[in-house]
Amino acid sequence: MNDEPTDDTPPPPLPGQPEPSPGTPRDKSACNRPHVGFEEMEGGKTFSNTINTLLRKPLSVVYTLEVEKREDGRKLLVRLLCISVTCLAIFGLVVGTFSWNHQLWAAPLKIVGGLLFSGLLCLPSLYIFACLGGLEARFRTIVGILCGLIALSGLLLVGFAPVVWLFSVSSTSVTFLGFLLLTLWIICASLGLVLVFRAGRALGMTNTGHLVVWCGVFLLVTLQMSTTLRPILGSQHGEKFVNFGEKKFFLAYWGEQLRGEHRESPREEVPGAEQ
Amino acid sequence: MSQDPYHILPIPALCRGERTLLSSWIEGTRRGSLRICAILIILGCGTYGFTIGYRNGWEMAAWVALKLPAIIFLTLFVNGLLNGMIGLILGSGIGFRQSLQFLLTGFAIMSVIVGALSPVTFFATLNMPDPGAENSLAWHGLNLLLHTAIIAFAGTLAHCRLLQYVRDFADSRGTGTLTFCAWLAGNLFVGAQVSWNLRPFFISPGLEVEFLRPDPFDGSFYEAVFRAFRNITPL
Repeated sequence: MNDEPTDDTPPPPLPGQPEPSPGTPRDKSACNRPHVGFEEMEGGKTFSNTINTLLRKPLSVVYTLEVEKREDGRKLLVRLLCISVTCLAIFGLVVGTFSWNHQLWAAPLKIVGGLLFSGLLCLPSLYIFACLGGLEARFRTIVGILCGLIALSGLLLVGFAPVVWLFSVSSTSVTFLGFLLLTLWIICASLGLVLVFRAGRALGMTNTGHLVVWCGVFLLVTLQMSTTLRPILGSQHGEKFVNFGEKKFFLAYWGEQLRGEHRESPREEVPGAEQ
Repeated sequence: MSQDPYHILPIPALCRGERTLLSSWIEGTRRGSLRICAILIILGCGTYGFTIGYRNGWEMAAWVALKLPAIIFLTLFVNGLLNGMIGLILGSGIGFRQSLQFLLTGFAIMSVIVGALSPVTFFATLNMPDPGAENSLAWHGLNLLLHTAIIAFAGTLAHCRLLQYVRDFADSRGTGTLTFCAWLAGNLFVGAQVSWNLRPFFISPGLEVEFLRPDPFDGSFYEAVFRAFRNITPL
């Protein structure tokens, strides 16, 4: 062996590697790295301020989660979750106006449930990949980063909601609107994923390469979820709420849609919705 | 008595590659390190194996969940003596117990990674058509590729971390690298054969679901590769 470390004395740092951090970020020492916006949340911890901070200084939400006491941190997590659910439900409602009738409640339910379930599926891998990159943070902070990602994406989707509504009342093509929604989701999720990278670096990740893989996995899972929970757009009379029997990969499904294999009328008969 | 955070949940420290944890494991100052690695391998690979086999039903899921950790333990059991000797002969200063600890640590990291990805692979399995459905051959190939890619990814990450550990603990970086390469070659050679003996893991279309093939010790992985090579070349 190179050295003889004992129980009491920590071993010297590896050649060419930084000193192991003396404490966890809970000591605040690890949080004192020079990252713009990685500071305590300003103002009261209200919903409106959390939304404002999430848009202006999302890193301060992560900082607050990391250094706050257990109870306060949990409250912030709940607020992030509430923001996510509310924003996604509003966006889902707008998407539901494409078909009206039962899609008005089914689309919000599927979008909220699908995205939260996708987050749950990807949470263990986010934690492990973050640790592999050298991140020292509580599990609660990782949950918070994931909730922040979903909340931020949800907020941006709400920003796009008027655009979606305009196209949903103008177009009758499920394929067109489907691709529009997927594009918007990729844009919003990508902006949300930037928060994951920034938070990772701010919390001491030395290698964010693993997070690139995780981002790919997260996007794939959410895109596949949209196909698994179909129909979210354009349901027909008598069609099931979900169609778990017919399993399809999302690329194959959208390929079929593009080739016009599903030529059904996208909308149910809605009184007063004639073009 | 001071609280030992690693003893309860060493996963984050293990993934981060904290030297304090590994040095205590290698030096033997902390008891139960082999048991912790074994538990992580059983849980991580078992969960991941379950998601591999689930495409062919609960029965196959349970068998693959048993067989995947078994490959690792059998490979280390068969190669244990050789790995220890290699460590000493190549002058790394790494003995029998330490070599076992190193390799178990590497496999534990791999198991944690595949275990963390198992919710995602389970979701992927749920979204794949049943084995008897249309295009089953294409889906079988896709499933095979997906899991091969995940295992290769996890294996590469874990072995990069292991190489770092071995270089650090060996008497010199050169002998550490040499020892690591020798272990890797030996484990790949034996591991491929053990996985051949314990087949099937992915049921090819048209074949039966079973715990082991009727002829588990008939032939070897390398003979099969040679036969496959001859089938595609005019030699």
